[in-house]
Amino acid sequence: MRHIWQIIKSLWRNKWGFRIASTYLLLLLALVLALPLLPLPYAPNFLDLQHPFLAPFTAKGMAAGHPLGTDGLGRDVMANLLFGARTAFLISLPVMLLATFIGVALGTTAGYFGDYAFRKPLHNVLRWALGFLAFLYYGLYLPLKLHQLNMGMKTLVMPIGLLLFTLLLLWLLTSVLLRRFLLWQRLVAIPIDKVVMRLIEALTSIPRFVLILVLASFIPPSLPLLSLLLIFTLWPAAARLSRAEMLRIKQLPYFEVARSIGNSPQQLIWRHALPNLGGPVLIAFSFGLGGLLALESTLSFLNIGVPTTLVSWGRTISSIRGNTSAWWLVAFPGGFLSLTVLALYTCSHYFSQIFGSRNGQ
Amino acid sequence: MLVYLLRRILLALPALWLLGTLVFLLSRMIPGSFAEERFLNAEASFYNKNSQSSREEAYREYQQRTGQHLPIFYFSVSSAAIPETGPDLPEAVQEQLQQSYSYLLPKFSWHGTHNQYHTWLAGILTGDFGTSYRTGRPALEMLWENIGNTLWLLSASMLITLAVALELSISMAKKRMQWLRRLVLPALFIIDSIPMLVLSLLLLVLLANPDFLQVFPVYGMGYYVPGHLSIWQELGQRLQYMALPVLALVLVNLPYITNQVYNSLLASLQSDYTRTAKAKGLPEHLIIRRHALRNALLPIITIVSDFLPALVSGSILIETIYAIPGIGRLLIDSVLSRDYPVLVTIILVVLVVRMAAYALADTAYAWADPRIKQKLA
Repeated sequence: MRHIWQIIKSLWRNKWGFRIASTYLLLLLALVLALPLLPLPYAPNFLDLQHPFLAPFTAKGMAAGHPLGTDGLGRDVMANLLFGARTAFLISLPVMLLATFIGVALGTTAGYFGDYAFRKPLHNVLRWALGFLAFLYYGLYLPLKLHQLNMGMKTLVMPIGLLLFTLLLLWLLTSVLLRRFLLWQRLVAIPIDKVVMRLIEALTSIPRFVLILVLASFIPPSLPLLSLLLIFTLWPAAARLSRAEMLRIKQLPYFEVARSIGNSPQQLIWRHALPNLGGPVLIAFSFGLGGLLALESTLSFLNIGVPTTLVSWGRTISSIRGNTSAWWLVAFPGGFLSLTVLALYTCSHYFSQIFGSRNGQ
Repeated sequence: MLVYLLRRILLALPALWLLGTLVFLLSRMIPGSFAEERFLNAEASFYNKNSQSSREEAYREYQQRTGQHLPIFYFSVSSAAIPETGPDLPEAVQEQLQQSYSYLLPKFSWHGTHNQYHTWLAGILTGDFGTSYRTGRPALEMLWENIGNTLWLLSASMLITLAVALELSISMAKKRMQWLRRLVLPALFIIDSIPMLVLSLLLLVLLANPDFLQVFPVYGMGYYVPGHLSIWQELGQRLQYMALPVLALVLVNLPYITNQVYNSLLASLQSDYTRTAKAKGLPEHLIIRRHALRNALLPIITIVSDFLPALVSGSILIETIYAIPGIGRLLIDSVLSRDYPVLVTIILVVLVVRMAAYALADTAYAWADPRIKQKLA
């Protein structure tokens, strides 16, 4: 990690493009965090029905307190612009971080263990499989069903208690099996690599935008559910990348040395492989974040998966459908969005220059 | 080669079945269907002042007609005591549940072949993809009507993009064209970072707006003219309407494709046969066109085969913004009204097209590079 920090510092010193892009991003981040403290004349969802489609920089607009104009319902464009940036970052950053985390975790495990290296005794496998089934019924289905029926706390506690009891029983049962029959001691290899790759293939065989739209139609529009959906469809990219990198790192001499002196798999992955993964993951992260910002705006433009009260650049842009001569509704949020994406892509570009040339050596 | 293709298609079928099944089950298992919203919601219908019971009656009748009253899958695991009615349980049943704890026991029930999944799958195997909840027409028919416009749009934009990307890369690869590289590469980088949404709306605002420049007609794919038009007249009308959407699609796709083509052209300019051609004394443009470009074309096959599945996803936004009745527009409409039969059909079509594209790409590779053919056979 320290190495990556050094690289970022040297980029900052030598490349003015990187300096401009990252300064812009940092300023935007600071603005987004400080936004609730700023005195704005209008709240983003306030409807000023006296002044719909007010053009920016006009005397009338200035007098009404809307320097950047208003949209079809009289919502202030400036407030929407600033709070839209806040929404965009507050959705995209955590989603991208979590998706990258899940992807890297799955990808490195798949790359490290492959199909044969992860071996568990059979009784353990049985325990996990049956425990998972029990969890699906008692941990997910029953509580959800009872919650739907409004049956009260007491009935909600019962399934969870029963789940714990079942797990305990399973543990005892498999331990007995283990002692009685030698068969259950046999080690079986779990093909992690195959499972992860099939999952990735299945998820990527439908274009991502289509998948998100279709899945979003199955769920009620809400922010947490949409974020989960985005994470669910975004992790394959990071997983594929980190798996490929892991396969490369596994062949390197230093990794072989680290393994031969008897490090455990956790230590190998955490201390020896992950620091080397940082560069490529950083490139993919900054690139993916730009794409995600655009995706979020698109979804709120189409009004799919997000509640209509959510302040967003896409929502402001979508008011142009009512009046195509209201250029300011596209120019300001669109320009803001494009600038942010451009800054992120620039960072990604510089990262890939540095890390790409280092890997090529 | 034929055997290889056949094997690929056969291998793709299980994946297709599995994914289709997953999407179907997911779409049916989530509560809150189109009909529930339409029929049971009292506030939604302003003019309809029917009583609750008649509304429920209509809902039941609708479910009977569309087969939605059947169980979803061959078997189901549910709680033994909770009856499968709506979200509102009678008081007596609730009381009973509170006391007996029998709801904790799972109940496994077998429904036989009389279920929604079976009917759906059997329908698909005989070419019946279900009827739309929204319009009541066969889903496949709706898809078929819309696919033409999308195909027009995509093939036109793909051809133009490829042509422009090739010409640009060829000119940029020449030694003397330093100034073009300096100009085009950053410009492409900037265009790439403008999201499709913003780009297409900007084009709409700037070029099809009475307040700025009204150059192109937009919204739809032409207008109704009484009488019969000749092919050329119809084409001319269509092209006018397609100009702006195609321009937007070209601009969105151009940076990525130009980058790919340019990089692979640069790579093949480094190789030995290029040096031989240079040593032979060929002029630069001939070296590029006759020797380097042919070898640089292989990656383009991949790009084109990636384009085909974009039949839907690539033009969703464009079709929505320019109001073109295509697949993407149909998808958005179906998503907004939760029209699951149409959605599942669209997904299936996308998957089939994707698999066909992969098979086509393999064939094209074998045709372009005979060495691959030997490996495959």
